[in-house]
Amino acid sequence: MPIEQDFENLPPATEKTAVHKKLVVFTSLFGVVLVLLLAVAIFTGFNQKDSSQSTSEKPTPTTAAEFKEEITSPSPYATDAALLKIEEEVENLDEKIQTTDLKESGLTPPALEMGINFEE
Amino acid sequence: MAQEFNFDRAYSDYLYNYNLYRESYDSYRTARETFLKYQTLTSKNEALSKTKEMLQKQDEVIKTYSTALRVKLTENPGLSSDEQNILFLNLDNEFAWFRQHQEEINKNNTLEDLTNLSEKSKEQYKKTEVLIYETLGAIFAGKEISLREQISQQIKSLKEKVGEIRLKGDKDTSLAERWLLEAENRLTQSQEKQFEAQQNLSKIKSSLNKSRTYNEAQASLEKSHQFLKEANSYLKEIIRELKNAD
Repeated sequence: MPIEQDFENLPPATEKTAVHKKLVVFTSLFGVVLVLLLAVAIFTGFNQKDSSQSTSEKPTPTTAAEFKEEITSPSPYATDAALLKIEEEVENLDEKIQTTDLKESGLTPPALEMGINFEE
Repeated sequence: MAQEFNFDRAYSDYLYNYNLYRESYDSYRTARETFLKYQTLTSKNEALSKTKEMLQKQDEVIKTYSTALRVKLTENPGLSSDEQNILFLNLDNEFAWFRQHQEEINKNNTLEDLTNLSEKSKEQYKKTEVLIYETLGAIFAGKEISLREQISQQIKSLKEKVGEIRLKGDKDTSLAERWLLEAENRLTQSQEKQFEAQQNLSKIKSSLNKSRTYNEAQASLEKSHQFLKEANSYLKEIIRELKNAD
């Protein structure tokens, strides 16, 4: 059976190419937009990372305040000169006690190879 | 301008000499092996020269180390002058022995003589080691004694203050008094641990493992120090208590 083609119902060749062209342009545009969005996202991400790094490299200087228990209800001796003097001496002593080195590892006796011989 | 001879200077002298000794020991080992392998006159002379040099440096290490210990002892506030003087005398004797030994090394020119001289210093160093550990123990004990005396002084001052407050009757002192007793207890416990350390140190002479016996003494001293820390922290509590109203 011979195959018949209905050439009349086929869309004209120029119309087909135009549709194809539109599709290509649309896909390309979509691709470009996608790439741009990706680039923007990456750039923003890097910037955020950089700013977080610079934050950790340069910490805000904080003044390390020594903890001292607040005296909420002071006794008549809270400002007593003799007691304050003892307090100062006890604090100084505390520092001495904490920093006393009871090992002095550098003073460990020297490792010496005592004795020689010339026998095989 | 002459540099002040303090512990830091003495210690760096010792370290410098120790490094020289290690280098000379390596050279001695190489020369010895070469001599034993080739048995030539040249290698024998080289072995003799390197052995002499190494033994001299070894003596120098002991001399500079004992000097560093001596200076450290001078800078230690807690020991009595009698205790210090005995250790000074012993350290000086060791120093003199090794100086004399260096002179003998210089005068001798055979490997056999040097071997004998090395045996002598090996024997002597056993005694030196005992003295080293005794001195180190005394240095640390001195530190503890000094700190304990200072804490004891603060306890005395606080006792007087607490007594004065109790007489005035404007503040309850019972808690502060209990803390004072606790602080005194810690001082006693610290003293006991130090006594234990001293007993360990006295065993060093007869000990087969001197370093272990010394470490045991040091462990007791560290416990003693912990009690001092606690005693002083109680004093801080007492002051806080006195500064606060009832």
